Amino acid sequence: MVTTSTPPGVSRVDLARLTEHWAEPRSLRGWFSTVDHKRIGRRYLVTAGVFFVLAGLSALAMRTQLARPEAGLLSPEEYNQLFTMHGTAMIFLFATPMLFGFGNYLVPLMIGARDMAFPRLNAFGYWVFLFAGLFMWASLPFGAAPNSGWFAYAPLNSEQHNPGLHMDVYALGLLFLGISTTAASINFIVTALKLRAPGMSLNRVPLFVWAIVATAFMVIFALPALNLDNAMLFLDRRFDTHFFDPSAGGNVLLWQHLFWIFGHPDVYIIVMPGLGIVSAVLPAFTRRGVVGYPLIVLSIVAIAIISFGVWVHHMFATGLPQLSYSFFSAASTIITIPSGLQIFAWLATMLLGRLIIRVPLLFVVGFIVTFVLGGVTGTMFALTAFDQQVTDTYFVVAHFHYVLIGGAVFPMLAGIYYWLPKITGRMYHEGLGRWAFWLVFAGMHVTFFPMHLYGLFGMPRRVYTYASEPGWGGWNLVSTIGSYVLALGLLLVLVGVVHAVRRGRPAPPDPWRADTLEWATTSPPEPYNFPVLPRVHSLHPVWDERTAESTGEGATADRILSEGRNTLLTSELDARVERPVPMPESTLKPLVLAAALLVLFAALLVAWYPVAAVAAVVVAATIAVWLWPAGPSRTSGVATP
Amino acid sequence: MTTTPPGPRARLTGGVLLWYGVLGGAVAWAVHVLAAWGLDELACAAGSDRVLAMPLGRVVGLAVIVPALVTAGSLAVAALAWRRTARAQATGTQDRAYGRSRMLAVVGVWVNLLFLTIIVLGGVAVLVLPPCQL
Repeated sequence: MVTTSTPPGVSRVDLARLTEHWAEPRSLRGWFSTVDHKRIGRRYLVTAGVFFVLAGLSALAMRTQLARPEAGLLSPEEYNQLFTMHGTAMIFLFATPMLFGFGNYLVPLMIGARDMAFPRLNAFGYWVFLFAGLFMWASLPFGAAPNSGWFAYAPLNSEQHNPGLHMDVYALGLLFLGISTTAASINFIVTALKLRAPGMSLNRVPLFVWAIVATAFMVIFALPALNLDNAMLFLDRRFDTHFFDPSAGGNVLLWQHLFWIFGHPDVYIIVMPGLGIVSAVLPAFTRRGVVGYPLIVLSIVAIAIISFGVWVHHMFATGLPQLSYSFFSAASTIITIPSGLQIFAWLATMLLGRLIIRVPLLFVVGFIVTFVLGGVTGTMFALTAFDQQVTDTYFVVAHFHYVLIGGAVFPMLAGIYYWLPKITGRMYHEGLGRWAFWLVFAGMHVTFFPMHLYGLFGMPRRVYTYASEPGWGGWNLVSTIGSYVLALGLLLVLVGVVHAVRRGRPAPPDPWRADTLEWATTSPPEPYNFPVLPRVHSLHPVWDERTAESTGEGATADRILSEGRNTLLTSELDARVERPVPMPESTLKPLVLAAALLVLFAALLVAWYPVAAVAAVVVAATIAVWLWPAGPSRTSGVATP
Repeated sequence: MTTTPPGPRARLTGGVLLWYGVLGGAVAWAVHVLAAWGLDELACAAGSDRVLAMPLGRVVGLAVIVPALVTAGSLAVAALAWRRTARAQATGTQDRAYGRSRMLAVVGVWVNLLFLTIIVLGGVAVLVLPPCQL
């Protein structure tokens, strides 16, 4: 329910001006040209959700195929494509974009800003993500989807061993998608460093924002390795270079090194925002701040850095000198300390607080149980000898599903239920939510726990079927039944969201009595987020009377900024006010640029190089038009960013 | 607002020195892991047990000891910053920069302990394993 009365401290004239400046056209053009971070955040959430459903259906098909030995539901080629698209979509098209969706919606609200630092870049990032996702999924009906696993090891990915468009789709699709992820990451970093509300010094930044910023830095450092890998793969396949061809002096291990230099940090890129969500949810349901704020910041920073030094544990079976193993074994073991530190801080928070058991808290508890189990097996992989025994078995599949579903999906579900009232202005149905939780929790463990066992019994991963003699059939049947229970639970989550949107009772601005700034504004927030940009005085601004006063009787014109479409620029470390900055209006340029890039990548895929050249010119021209210096702003005299 | 102007020693809690205290260990460990691993890997792949006429084991050992010392220095700086911000806060300084520096100092102390542990744990193998054993 949107509050329509004039907030204290703001005149009707100011409010009318803010509404006018921040209004977006209510037309089809307005829909395509929006740069509002909340609308873009919602689109990320919905689009990633759709890709999640597609990847989930792929998983159900695979689990059905594996339910009994020597089944013939899928051919090997169909299985390979579904298997690759499942992994690729879950990692690249669901997990990261979903968490970026939360970040897009919440970071400006949590730091008391009116939008992201670069709203047009934000819109561009979303359109590229959508088009890259469609680009990859569209290959499946043509039987041309990627088919070498999401890790696409050389030489399986080579033209010689894998002819056709499959791996070209993979290489180009991920290069295209990388543009979106990089743009979003730059935006998060600048937003969090430069647009924080006055007074929100580094020691008052919400833990979710810390997590998103750390994730964004990790993306900036990790993604170039993957982009380089894919660019070299495309050159190898299309233009006969030999980066990964040992017969011509190339090296297949080069692919693995570059892939995992990206791939292992990516696990934390996926999990880190999830950990941030947990730190955001807990205070509302324990009625106290998270224990050990500086230590959680420490663990976020430490995990972000150490995750770059553990990639070789994915390659312990490739035959490196033992001394080399020791450096990576040590790092892989030690990374459990900051991870464990956060777990203990959350447990202490629950122990010392007053628990209010609602659906978001249930998912947080489910997260802790599942993530710890995944973390324990992760520590086992840090030991070279054990890793060499179980590598490429279903034990690994069990481990990473515990980590990724535990560390990302459970927190995401907690976040969906927690922020649904803020995003939609409607409360969810508690009973439906509890049913969803128990089905997801039970389904997840019934599906993946047996994989530890049949992995230890020797069942290799990445196989489309297996013989009946080893006796893996019973365990696989249990896993398959579990996967259907898990799917039913996730379906109930979707039903719960639709029910809330259509029939949920109106949500007040702060239904949970939470502590961060997004709860200090209406549900859903107005396009300008806050009529008065707050002045922050503590780590828990909504629980702090002085911060509340700053948006009421203490409101000053320099924090209302009603003369244009403005937000406040502040200093990086201590959030001291520097100056107001104008924000851009809605524009179609991001959509046009993303569409031109889609044509470019599609033309490269089908080897229409003249069309690709024309598309490249259009891309360059659109960028030039976009960056053409705007005239001085009418209101502040500062050029529009 | 600052009720008492910070002295020259307290000012050391900000700026480059503080960032050394927070991130020095991280950078030292990154250099250590890339240098030690890279030297070991490349020299062994080339079939050599010497780098610039020095035995490979000794070179890798240096790639452990030097970063460990840099990390120990970073830990000392973070601990010093933590003590000084504590003293400044005890004298009634209200400046929020002290709160921020204090948090970064706490982060620096713990993160440097973590990185020192990794370097030592990984480096112990230099004493036990010949560089090119597969």
